[in-house]
Amino acid sequence: MSDPSVISRRMSEIGIWKKISSKRVPLSFSLEITARCNNNCRHCYINLPAGDTKAKGNEISVDVIGRIADEAVELGSLWVLISGGEPLLRKDFSEIYISLKKKGLVPTVFTNACLITKEHIEIFNKYPPKNLEVTVYGASEETYEKVTRQPGSYKAFVRGLDLLLENDIKVRLKAMALKSNLHEMDEIARFCRERTKDFFRFDPILHMRYDFDPVRNEEIRSERLSPQQIVELERADPDRAQEMEELCDKFILPDPIKNDKNYLFGCASGIHSFVVGYDGVYRLCSSLWHPDCLYDLKTGTLAEAWNDFTPKILRMTSDKEEYHKSCGTCPIINLCLWCPAHTHLETGQMDERVDYFCKVAHERAKALRKAVANK
Amino acid sequence: MEINVNLDSAYIPSDDVVAREIEGELIIVPLAAGIGDMEDELFTLNETGSAIWDLLKTQKKLRNVIEQLSEDFEAPADEIEKDVIGFVEELLKRGMLVEVAQD
Repeated sequence: MSDPSVISRRMSEIGIWKKISSKRVPLSFSLEITARCNNNCRHCYINLPAGDTKAKGNEISVDVIGRIADEAVELGSLWVLISGGEPLLRKDFSEIYISLKKKGLVPTVFTNACLITKEHIEIFNKYPPKNLEVTVYGASEETYEKVTRQPGSYKAFVRGLDLLLENDIKVRLKAMALKSNLHEMDEIARFCRERTKDFFRFDPILHMRYDFDPVRNEEIRSERLSPQQIVELERADPDRAQEMEELCDKFILPDPIKNDKNYLFGCASGIHSFVVGYDGVYRLCSSLWHPDCLYDLKTGTLAEAWNDFTPKILRMTSDKEEYHKSCGTCPIINLCLWCPAHTHLETGQMDERVDYFCKVAHERAKALRKAVANK
Repeated sequence: MEINVNLDSAYIPSDDVVAREIEGELIIVPLAAGIGDMEDELFTLNETGSAIWDLLKTQKKLRNVIEQLSEDFEAPADEIEKDVIGFVEELLKRGMLVEVAQD
């Protein structure tokens, strides 16, 4: 008998990553437990009003969540992201959170922190999350509430965040960059880095709403930064700029991509992850809402969705010649927000070119080539 | 904290951890605070550790666990005893096992 041992490992170092590299195993999944939110952010792709009774009525119960989570565990899931909407709006959040922990899942929670209570603190202290990620919409009350359109939300956010930090809950801060807060991005970055030393990230690209609401989509378009603004922001962030330069060969491929089978999907969604919406609808990722890619877990099982339904989506192809000459083979696709899901939200099709994404990608490529050449 | 391992006790997995087998790897996921020292920490057991863990779950006295392992691995019980006690001590220190006193 060899020596028995228990080995402490960081999550990223456990051996299963190697074992599953060539397999479809859903190591992680997201649970969007509500689409409702206490805020009304100008750029949000999902939020519905906190008092939306129809949306609330469609939310899957703790029991259904438990059944889906049991199936996920059976299929090999280890990580779960609890998001929304604002997940803390649900009165049964704590019950959901603890039940997922007790199944041996490792949860991360996305929240705006406005609704944090002492009860949440007690639970997070007793049953720590892997991460609690809080989005910072502005470093001042004026900017924060210009984005959230919710009077009093800045004070609620600061109170909630302070409560988390005072109680040593591990928090990661992040930001969305949009026209309404662009002037304050330096202050937002400083605000975040002063509070969480090891982590800050921002996302400068907004995508369209899942419900195709034309008024809200117009608001989102009006908040989008120009390609030049996005690149300026990214180049001004030393960590991000350095990472992009180090991965330049992956971002800018020497030749067009070969895609002999014409598959539309080429990411990890449906290979190592999936999403369950507030209404129990299974999707490959949070952005994929094409009606041919939805599976109702209220009437079917997760095993069917993962083992039978998903492979059919992964084999979806396009016969559009223009797609194969552009996005389908584009050597800078890794600098682009283009994917079948995002393009569907923009155009209603999964194989269309999106002019805005294309311009952002080319602007990024131009800046990256210049930065690498100057080194 | 001094830990004394008693061969006439059973040592079972603590309620503060959940053991998961994923793709053949036994992973111990901390449920409650205080199990790991680092953030983002999980624990894996090697093959021998996993065999011991499986036997500990049956709530047998440690003496009987050692006997069983001696048969399974065709190795002398006194050799195995030393390894098992060291392993149990390590898991007790980490809060992954709890002692169940036997009558």
